Amino acid sequence: MGVVLRNLQNVVPLRRARLRKDVETLRHILGIQKFDLGVICVDNRKIQRINNIYRKKNMPTDVLSFPFYEELRPGKLPCPLYRDELNLGDIFLGVEYVMKQCQQQSQDLHGILTSVTAHGICHLLGYRHETEEEWKEMLQKESYILNEFNRFTGRQLVPLTKKCSQDG
Amino acid sequence: MLKSLSRAVSTAVRISTSTMFSARALQPLTRSTLCSSNSGAIRPFSRSLWMMSHNGAASVYRPKLFSSKGFTPVSCGCGSLHTEGDKAFGNFLSDEIKEEKKIQKSNTLPKMSGGWELQQNGTEAKLIRTISGEKVTVTFNVNNSIPPKFEEEAEQAQGQKSAENEPDIVSSPNFVVEVTKQAAKHSLVFDCHYPEDEAKYIFQAIHGEGEEESDIFAIREVSFQPEGDVEWKETAYTLNTDSLDWALYDHLMDFLADRGVDNTFADELIELSTAMEHHEYIKFLEDLSGFVKCN
Repeated sequence: MGVVLRNLQNVVPLRRARLRKDVETLRHILGIQKFDLGVICVDNRKIQRINNIYRKKNMPTDVLSFPFYEELRPGKLPCPLYRDELNLGDIFLGVEYVMKQCQQQSQDLHGILTSVTAHGICHLLGYRHETEEEWKEMLQKESYILNEFNRFTGRQLVPLTKKCSQDG
Repeated sequence: MLKSLSRAVSTAVRISTSTMFSARALQPLTRSTLCSSNSGAIRPFSRSLWMMSHNGAASVYRPKLFSSKGFTPVSCGCGSLHTEGDKAFGNFLSDEIKEEKKIQKSNTLPKMSGGWELQQNGTEAKLIRTISGEKVTVTFNVNNSIPPKFEEEAEQAQGQKSAENEPDIVSSPNFVVEVTKQAAKHSLVFDCHYPEDEAKYIFQAIHGEGEEESDIFAIREVSFQPEGDVEWKETAYTLNTDSLDWALYDHLMDFLADRGVDNTFADELIELSTAMEHHEYIKFLEDLSGFVKCN
């Protein structure tokens, strides 16, 4: 299968091909090409609703991750027996929330979306940031991913894990 | 019985015109076949049959066929058939038209953003736009544009649905996008639709407002077609997106978005199509009412 990309919103003009290409680069860096992954772009209304349902936080956010494997050790890839289980889960990108942040900070939307996606993928791989130790571990992983990404692409992305804004 | 009836039919051909319009001879078909002791049983039937097939101007008297079923013609002098059923139907239509007009959002159609020019031909509409020399035409038809709601499953899951909470009818038509560059012989044509997600409806019924996970609209097929031709060229290669590389699919979607066919457009098209469909439905009811009452 690969990356299932869906755009459910009409607030932000999204470049699907560009986002897909960046996500494929992240998958290559992490060595997770054989795993299916869902990336769903939603607006504030939708991400707020999901945030409220699943985290009891009635506010929009930048990313919400729904891992297929809920008890993964951080960084340990699953070894499924069946083809159906070659799935890491889904990432909901709050693109409207991210766009507003980019406008305030004069940043490139698609660059930030890629950083946000990297953060979301880390959550699918078992990384958390609920404790100081977990936060450091996740920041280290994200930094590695984005450094490699910048090396491949010539861009200058930075990790999202600067503050603990969401759980997976 | 059959042999006698068939003989009666063949006999009917030879009956002269002068005897045809005798009101006495005209009996209801059911009565003539039942009353075998009636000496005129076969002949009245054959007359009735002849009368039904005759288109002469003198046919002012129409045979009563199904009187046992309450078929009572009401005469208004226009020469058309009017029954009690027609009258009830007409009254029903009047009420229905009133109700539909009450819920009609507006008499005018909603505008599309992005400078699209609307051309209508009955139930078919075209939205046309020119961007830097490129002409983009979106064609859709409101006929068969209302997807079936999976109400039965939803109601079963949810329990009895209140009649007051009936969902609004929404028209989400398939649409075709043609992109034509200047002086080009061919147009790039996209056959698009709104994906129907059965699971979504059931999920929504069970969990309340659920999460859709389909794109707002999707491309089904892509093809190059001769510019200006109405007929689809079957010999032109048609790319089906069912098994298409997803990166290529995303490029095609970006291509359309750059030409104004994006999620905003898709949402507005639903609004426009729904309003058009409702307008056509009311017009149809009005025409039907006029036809039933007096043509």
